[in-house]
Amino acid sequence: MASLNIASRTLARGVSRSCTRLNVARALSTSAQLNDAAASSGSYSSPFKGEPKSTKIPDFGHYLNKGSANTSLLFQYFMVGTMGAITAAGAKSTVQEFLKNMSASADVLAMAKVEVDLNAIPEGKNVIIKWRGKPVFIRHRTSEEIDEANKIDIASLRDPQADEDRVQKPEWLVMLGVCTHLGCVPIGEAGDYGGWFCPCHGSHYDISGRIRKGPAPLNLEVPTYEFPEEDKLVIG
Amino acid sequence: MSALYNALFRNNFQMLGVVFASAFAFEMAYDTGMNRLWDNMNKGRQWKDIRSRYVEAEEEEE
Repeated sequence: MASLNIASRTLARGVSRSCTRLNVARALSTSAQLNDAAASSGSYSSPFKGEPKSTKIPDFGHYLNKGSANTSLLFQYFMVGTMGAITAAGAKSTVQEFLKNMSASADVLAMAKVEVDLNAIPEGKNVIIKWRGKPVFIRHRTSEEIDEANKIDIASLRDPQADEDRVQKPEWLVMLGVCTHLGCVPIGEAGDYGGWFCPCHGSHYDISGRIRKGPAPLNLEVPTYEFPEEDKLVIG
Repeated sequence: MSALYNALFRNNFQMLGVVFASAFAFEMAYDTGMNRLWDNMNKGRQWKDIRSRYVEAEEEEE
């Protein structure tokens, strides 16, 4: 049954193919007849009648470059170079604006540094100022307090650090007022060691801000600061 | 013309230098021109234009 079907299909295809071929042939023959009819009517004229004239080469002198070759080269390279220059300037400023976007904005920079007038702090007094959202302790230490801070055996400390490493000028102690245990703000001039005492879990810091007793693991952190003038302190 | 061509575009590195130099000059000129245009369009509305009033007022208060 299947083989019969296939056979009939191939037959049908063959018939249709031969039919189209016939149609094409018929069409060709009719068009040829039409052309012959047009030619015989006498209205046809050949486009190659004046053939000898058309082989003459026209004069292109009007279009030729009068100046030297470098004149046109100059113009071409000028256009290319101008395009390149504008592209380079655009690319440079695009990159620059993206990088500028990443830098700190003016309000952030304004908050990043704090200036303190040290004349306002008498000897033996604490001052707490706010810097980047955190309290900063500044203590004007007396000479006895400096001696006391230097006297301590560093090896016996939990976080061994000499007093000279924690201060730039011995009379000015500057450090972050954040307890290294869980971040409370210690109380000044309190505790067993005459320094700071954290009321949250009872950490005692000495007069150099070093941890002496209690749960805190580290000394009070010292921020970056400098003395641009004699009586001026800049934190940050 | 030929001298100009020889001076600017004769060698590739020459042309590159000329292009970068002109890009630098173009950028400066374009930036200053655009800033001037912006300031001109916003005359009297920017902080630098009205700053003198407020700064003087603060000094008078003190």
